[in-house]
Amino acid sequence: MDAPLPFSDREIAFLDALVAEGVDFLVVGLAAAALQGAPAVTQDVDLWFRDLADPALRRALGRTGASYLPPTDSTPPLFAGAGTELFDIVVHMHGLDAFASEAGRAVRIRVGPVEVPVLPLDRIIASKRATGRPKDLSILPALEDTLRARRRTPGV
Amino acid sequence: MERAGLDSAAGDEAARALARREQARAICEADPDATFENVWHALILLEEAPVDRLNRSLIRGRATAVQR
Repeated sequence: MDAPLPFSDREIAFLDALVAEGVDFLVVGLAAAALQGAPAVTQDVDLWFRDLADPALRRALGRTGASYLPPTDSTPPLFAGAGTELFDIVVHMHGLDAFASEAGRAVRIRVGPVEVPVLPLDRIIASKRATGRPKDLSILPALEDTLRARRRTPGV
Repeated sequence: MERAGLDSAAGDEAARALARREQARAICEADPDATFENVWHALILLEEAPVDRLNRSLIRGRATAVQR
């Protein structure tokens, strides 16, 4: 029997709740790159939120029975509960403009039945380049080649 | 008849692969910084639904983590 897919109905339900409640967020990082066709490997799905105190986020979490764990001195902010285990919270993106500006450039990608806002590949590349970390720099050639492939592939 | 159907499917897949290879070659020819393997795999992934691309990435990410 096939193993269950890591990103399935529960995770899609959480994204659906975020969209339905009007939460300002973007899918970022390598999950965003993978959604846009990059041959990139990741263990989680990074979500960048405009405002973690937004009541809409609380409502979205409530819809799915999940909860928000605020940051402590030694831990980042986290989600807990149904369908949120794969998601990491991002509060700052290196090398990018303010959330509102980047959100204005977002591409909308259908993930199952829901359309989610996703940081465009060229902006993911800008962010990875800005961090300067070896693990981020090492993925740049694959991301840049994906951008080249997308630009020469009609309808993607 | 079934055999003919399988051959037809395999032929379609081979034709798609040839077209994809030509597209990847053209992209790399137009940009010397491009790497054929990256472009080839990106073109394959672009034929899939976004959620399938994401699941591929996460499955491989989990496998990589287990191997560490």
